[in-house]
Amino acid sequence: MPEHIGLPQGTLDLLILRTLALEPQHGWGISERVQQMSRDVLRIQQGSLYPALHRLQRRGWVKARWGTSENNRRAKYYELTKAGRRQLTAEQDSWHKLAAAVAQVLGPA
Amino acid sequence: MWQDLMFRARSLFRPRQVEAELDDELRFHAERQLGQYLESGITREEARRRVRLEFGGLDQVKEDCRDARGISLIETLCHDLRYGLRTLRKSPGFTAVALFTLALGIGANTAIFSVIYGVLLRPLPYRDSGRLVILNETNPRVGMVSVSQMNFEDWRRQSHAFSELASVYGVHFNLSGPKQPEGISGIAVTPNFLTLSGIDPILGRGFSASEEKAGTPPVALLSYPLWQSRFGGDPKALGSTVSLDGRAYTMTGVLPPEFRWVEQVDVIEPVGVLATRNDGFETRGNRGDMMVLGRLGPNSNREQARSEMEGIAARLAQAYPLENARCGVMLRPLREVFSGDVRPAILVLLGAVVFVLLIACANVSNLFLMRGAVRSREMALRMAIGASRGRIAGQVLTEGFLVAVLGGAAGIALAGIRGISTLIPRASLAGASIGMSGPVLLFSAAVVLLSMFAFGLAPALHSTSANLQSELKEGAKATFARGRGRWRAVLASAEIAFALILLVGAGLMIRSLYRLLSVDSGFRAGHVIKLNMSLRTEQYDKDPAVLNFWQKVLDGVRALPGVRSAAVGTSLPLTDDHWRDDIWVEGQPVPDAASFPHPDMHVVSPGFLSTMGIRLLHGRAFLETDRENAPLVVLVNETLARRLFPGRDPVGGRIQLGRPRPGRPHKWRTIVGVMADTKMYGLAQPARMEVYLPYRQDASNGMALVVKSAGDPAALTSAIHRVVASIDKDQPIVGVQTLQQVMNDPISTRRITLILLSLFSVLALVLSAIGIYGVVSYSVAQRFREIGIRMALGAQRRDVRRLVLGQGARISGIGIAIGLAASLLLTRLMTKLLYSVSAADPATFLLVALLLALVALAACYIPARRTTRVDPSIALRQD
Repeated sequence: MPEHIGLPQGTLDLLILRTLALEPQHGWGISERVQQMSRDVLRIQQGSLYPALHRLQRRGWVKARWGTSENNRRAKYYELTKAGRRQLTAEQDSWHKLAAAVAQVLGPA
Repeated sequence: MWQDLMFRARSLFRPRQVEAELDDELRFHAERQLGQYLESGITREEARRRVRLEFGGLDQVKEDCRDARGISLIETLCHDLRYGLRTLRKSPGFTAVALFTLALGIGANTAIFSVIYGVLLRPLPYRDSGRLVILNETNPRVGMVSVSQMNFEDWRRQSHAFSELASVYGVHFNLSGPKQPEGISGIAVTPNFLTLSGIDPILGRGFSASEEKAGTPPVALLSYPLWQSRFGGDPKALGSTVSLDGRAYTMTGVLPPEFRWVEQVDVIEPVGVLATRNDGFETRGNRGDMMVLGRLGPNSNREQARSEMEGIAARLAQAYPLENARCGVMLRPLREVFSGDVRPAILVLLGAVVFVLLIACANVSNLFLMRGAVRSREMALRMAIGASRGRIAGQVLTEGFLVAVLGGAAGIALAGIRGISTLIPRASLAGASIGMSGPVLLFSAAVVLLSMFAFGLAPALHSTSANLQSELKEGAKATFARGRGRWRAVLASAEIAFALILLVGAGLMIRSLYRLLSVDSGFRAGHVIKLNMSLRTEQYDKDPAVLNFWQKVLDGVRALPGVRSAAVGTSLPLTDDHWRDDIWVEGQPVPDAASFPHPDMHVVSPGFLSTMGIRLLHGRAFLETDRENAPLVVLVNETLARRLFPGRDPVGGRIQLGRPRPGRPHKWRTIVGVMADTKMYGLAQPARMEVYLPYRQDASNGMALVVKSAGDPAALTSAIHRVVASIDKDQPIVGVQTLQQVMNDPISTRRITLILLSLFSVLALVLSAIGIYGVVSYSVAQRFREIGIRMALGAQRRDVRRLVLGQGARISGIGIAIGLAASLLLTRLMTKLLYSVSAADPATFLLVALLLALVALAACYIPARRTTRVDPSIALRQD
């Protein structure tokens, strides 16, 4: 079983936004997708996922609607709004800069 | 932003639905997770366990979601409100004092603002009333005077600053008909008055331009109340006639109910109707009772209009030196004319109630600070277990909010607006109505919020400054905590300063009213009743009929039981409704046109002086023999005698009314007596020159009947009515008042201001005494241990008492010093209300400062005495 890494502060929103940029998704789907894309390194706790979704919704970056899931159940789907897309671009940029800078400081491993 | 609000609002207003959705969502998630685990081949039992584990506390997740949705802010507020209510209920003494104090402050503000709104702020019922101006002429000898019709017409032709000018004459009528005869008043206006001011009759029509010329058939607009009382509000009454002064006027319309004018208006007639029955319109020197209403043109302001009008007046003075020499023009905004009398008084009162509110806020703030000190351990504990400073400050503010709102509600209920509005003399209100209204409520709400911040801020900031360590350590308080104590001392000083300002204001008012009341009016007002009659119908066009009427009235009234004397006269004290004329003294050079002596003329019957109690200084009073064909005689007053006959006896001298004209024989009148000056024009006004004429030699249609009785003069009213009705049943009687009432009316504004101001300052005194008492006694309680230590170390009770009194003296000393300085600056604003007292009257200032010092000392003495009960052995063992 791969080792899980705790999420640094502030990256959860970014991950959620990135995931939703692919397609509208429900909460469980989001956590599954993050886990898949990170090859099981990152895991989002439900305890922080749902508050984050509500927070993003309040900021107007994400909107929610009820839909039907792939197994034919009623589920709440989240999708990016225009503002959310802009936010994602901005956060991605600053993340890349940060990562590069941190890597620079740490030097070659 | 919008999104944010909508989102919060949805979770706030539809909490159940939002919660249910969250439940569904989480259940869906759990099921999917469970399904996944099952697929991977774990037992159902194990899968369930893992899901539960991953979810952590379900309630915690939900709570976090709620926080994230941002409703927590409001929920917190609700919690705080509930908690606040609970704590307030738990300390009823504190709550009662705080609420009561605030209710007084807010109530007083609400009451005074309702007056201010009604009188000064509520828009006048005219279109764009801010651009309406009243114009008068001025005359250096008497000040503001009426406008002459001829001058008005020149103004209208020459002025460009005004888009329109309208003349407004004050008129009076005797209204007779099937009901009791009534004396009513109204205005005669140029036809453009209605369009200029934007008044539309609710029924019928306004006036047409042709109705400005003499010869206009009598038509009138009725006021709404008169239409109601005479015609029962019947719209079909349009076109029917009313009998005014015995003439049939066709009623062409009804004014809207909200219409009001500077003076009482029952009817409006076009000026052409007035010109038909008056012949003074063609004489430039004739100034009736007229002012001019002007609307400023779109491109001009009042200053431009003033300078333009001054230019016009100067040209007219040059063109017509005989009538217009040195005559100027005076412009006043319509609002000022409406509220001129009471404006200074209510502004002073507004200042007073603001101070009362400030004192109340300081007091409540002090209460909160004290409570904050008591609860500092509670606050420290709450902070220790994780409450943020903001949260604690918020909670203290919430309690403040509760107190402010409750106190405000009580204050608005207490305001007694109706009481205040009945205190104010109707005459000085010019039809303004005072009452609770939307803007007044809004104002009170703003006051509530402002006072909440005023008294809540300091305690809120202080509550969070608690030092966890020292607060939580048991028994750490051997000595006095400085910071909070300093705040309270500052607040108490401020209260004293505010109270001093109020007391100085009230003191100055008391002194001037006292001076005013001790002025000798020159009248003996006791047991005298007066009433007015104006003979206006055709039958009184000739002098003999007029004289006959007055003689019959006098004979009839003098024969009534209980009547000691009766007289008629045109001069009544404290009315400014006088006829004036130029006079020329025999043997003196003819003065130039602008400097003729211009005394007031009064027509009186024999017995007038004795009935009114006016002293005769020299010579004789009028006799029944001073009749139509007897030699012409006059009385003059002291001021005239002094000015026109300096150093010699005027009795026997002769004067002529009007200027000498070539080719007209002199009509000399012999001075037979000199009478004492009276305060005819108001107790605060200087005496003017006066000439009295016997009523049979200068018949006057409008007279006041004055009757001196043996007993209560008011009891004679109905008997007098019967006497008049027996002579002419259509003759109305107006203005029935005792002379005492007449004398009281003009000072009523001052008196009411005084009453309210005294009330407010007593309130302020009590509040500030409570304030300083609270601060000192609290600090004594806090220093219990310190005092114990001092005494254990050998301090005498006297020393300790001095320590406490010293603190009080410092607080009140600073307050008094600041208050005195501020008063010196502020009382200048009330100069208009003072009479023969300087706004910086040293005696008043000194007395008030002394009074406050005494009260403060007394307030400190009680806690100081308590120190003598401190037993060092107990104090040291405490905690």
